[in-house]
Amino acid sequence: MKHKSPLQRFALSIVVGAVLLLASGHIDELRAYQGAQIAIFAIAIASIVLLTGYSGQISLGHGALMAIGGYASVIAQIHWHLPYPLAFIVGTAIGALAGFLLGIAAARLRGPYLAGTTLALAVGLPSLANQFHILGGEQGLTFDVGTAPPWIGKEFSQYRWFFWVCVTAALAIFWLLRNLLSTRYGRRWRAVRSNPTAAALSGIDVGRAKVLAFTLSSAVAGLAGSLFAMLLGLVAPLAFTLTLSFTLVTGAVLAGVSNLGGSIVGAVVLVAIPELSGSIAAHLGGSEKVTSNLPGVITGVLLILTVLFAPNGPKLPHRKR
Amino acid sequence: MLASRRTKGGIFAAATIAVAALVASALPAQAETGVTSSTIKLGITVPLTGAAAPGYNKIPGAMKAYFDYVNANGGVYGRKIQLVVKDDGYSPATTLSVTNDLILKDKVFALVGTLGTANNEATTRLVNSHSVPRLFVNTGFSGFADMKKYPTTFPLFPSYATEAKVMGKYLADNFAGKKVALIYQDDDFGLDAIKGFTTAGTNFVAKIPYSAFSQVDPTTAPKWVTALVAAQADTVIMFGVTSATAALAGAIYKAGLLGKIQMILGSVGSDGTTLKGLLGPLAPALAGTISASFLPSASDATDEYITLFKSINAQYNAGQVFDNNILTGMNTAMMTVQALRAAGTTPTRAKLIKAIETKGSTWASASLSPILFSATSHVGYTGYWFGKLGADGNAVSADGPGKYTLYSTDSGSGPVVKAAAARPAMPAKGLPTN
Repeated sequence: MKHKSPLQRFALSIVVGAVLLLASGHIDELRAYQGAQIAIFAIAIASIVLLTGYSGQISLGHGALMAIGGYASVIAQIHWHLPYPLAFIVGTAIGALAGFLLGIAAARLRGPYLAGTTLALAVGLPSLANQFHILGGEQGLTFDVGTAPPWIGKEFSQYRWFFWVCVTAALAIFWLLRNLLSTRYGRRWRAVRSNPTAAALSGIDVGRAKVLAFTLSSAVAGLAGSLFAMLLGLVAPLAFTLTLSFTLVTGAVLAGVSNLGGSIVGAVVLVAIPELSGSIAAHLGGSEKVTSNLPGVITGVLLILTVLFAPNGPKLPHRKR
Repeated sequence: MLASRRTKGGIFAAATIAVAALVASALPAQAETGVTSSTIKLGITVPLTGAAAPGYNKIPGAMKAYFDYVNANGGVYGRKIQLVVKDDGYSPATTLSVTNDLILKDKVFALVGTLGTANNEATTRLVNSHSVPRLFVNTGFSGFADMKKYPTTFPLFPSYATEAKVMGKYLADNFAGKKVALIYQDDDFGLDAIKGFTTAGTNFVAKIPYSAFSQVDPTTAPKWVTALVAAQADTVIMFGVTSATAALAGAIYKAGLLGKIQMILGSVGSDGTTLKGLLGPLAPALAGTISASFLPSASDATDEYITLFKSINAQYNAGQVFDNNILTGMNTAMMTVQALRAAGTTPTRAKLIKAIETKGSTWASASLSPILFSATSHVGYTGYWFGKLGADGNAVSADGPGKYTLYSTDSGSGPVVKAAAARPAMPAKGLPTN
């Protein structure tokens, strides 16, 4: 990927996309649903990789940013009667706006203080839905994007259509981010992350670079939230829990934090964990209590193991130029 | 760098295994989804963990116990009933995700007893697109009776609108001139009740909404009590889940208002044993509390269903105290067995739905209210009786054991009818022969 031009990357995205979309005709609905989930998680994890891996800022609150994007899309559809592709764009834009505001605060904070601030956001923000009637309270708002358009074929299941939408969005985001990270913006972020003082001395506006990274990352998280709302068919505070935020961070750590392509691996692992734990619990003959708690245990253990065996945290990708 | 490469290798290996497992766990197709020559597979989603779990988490165990009892006595035309239980923590997003598993992976024949209004709403698109029968949902949201929107869904419980209308009549009969306040869960559950009270013409001195889960915040219930006192209420109606009812009872008790504010509980949050457990040392707070029920009192020793269900509970559900939740679960299971039998020896989803519409109104059930299922109505029960919570937490009829005055009505504008309850006899040993 490193030596490819934007055009070559575009061609590669088209090929990968075509293969995936053609393959979607040969998998069952559950796999299509999980495929869509993987695409959404990959986008969300990529937004953390962009933020943490490249600009060196930590966020434990990306679940809340997804909620902002999701709610914005649903409100755009319900109250402004926008078609859903436009609703996704609104979700992305509002996500960017929230990220910009948060980024201004974040640029002044570091390490644990930034983690604490974003964590507070993840805890507090979803419960806002209970304070304003327009947000639908605890039971949330429904988000109905309808079935696949007729030109695509009649026998097209709902989840297969979601898979198409999510995969297309994921490829577009990965193409954009990959190109962006090989521009001067990507280089500036890496400089800021590695040594803010040195970066400032070299003439980089550190604060501005950080705010820009936060804005972009939130926009991407907002899109992930919009797609998540589409997949669930609703937005509700309980859809964007603290667990979601932590799960995304886990995915990013598993992905290697500064490795964009790793986001896909992280997303696959996240979706596979409940599936695997279900099989394990079934083999153990476990009760429902085991089944419902096992995914959390596996996620936690994986996170600890990854941190133990990659203790140096985010690393610059050492690639030959 | 060696460590980094090794870690990456490990992650890729893990991912490869994960993908392989995803592909390998696909199931082979079968004649009618969820039915084999020896089994029928059903699924339920219910909060086993989290704030809404207390009490309701006993429902799946009770259903399994009754199914085990039927299975031990020949099953349904030789097929054993299996119940796949999924925990959704009362979160609609989780409900959808685990219902995907139930329908697409476990491939259940039907959903039964799925709990929660918003939770059932979240899975409607999926349920409808696969025409999965959704039997006897554990919610009283009257909207689920809309056959166009929910063609495969059968609500068994009387609707919250029905309950509110009935309660309005009960208040007019017994609490005329009192200052009545209402506390309700601020979603379709509570709003449905408001609709019923409006139809009944009940006037409240205060209406206090609360958002689901806010009851776990220890400052919430004292605020309700402050509002009750401010409105000079002497009677309070509670339309919320059990944990919210417990919070209210505790707060009234701590404020020294026991006996000064009469609590009247909707059926959802009125299970006395669960309330007592949640209240602990504050359990005296329940003294004198009135509750609405559509099933007989769980402590009514003269009731044949209660006696039978208690003995099944002792044999197949060891260690669980018999209460309203267990009664509800077993009653739902008994209705389910009759529905499965009525679907015939080669059951299909379409036959199951047809069977409930055409024969459901004749089935045996512990409820004191008639069942209204028909080709034009998916509404089950229609009536309630009122009683005070006894020492063991269960409501007791003022008319004496085995005798109940039933208030019944519809979810719309029909009148509330007050009559002595009557119901068909239980099939021998509680084993349906329909």
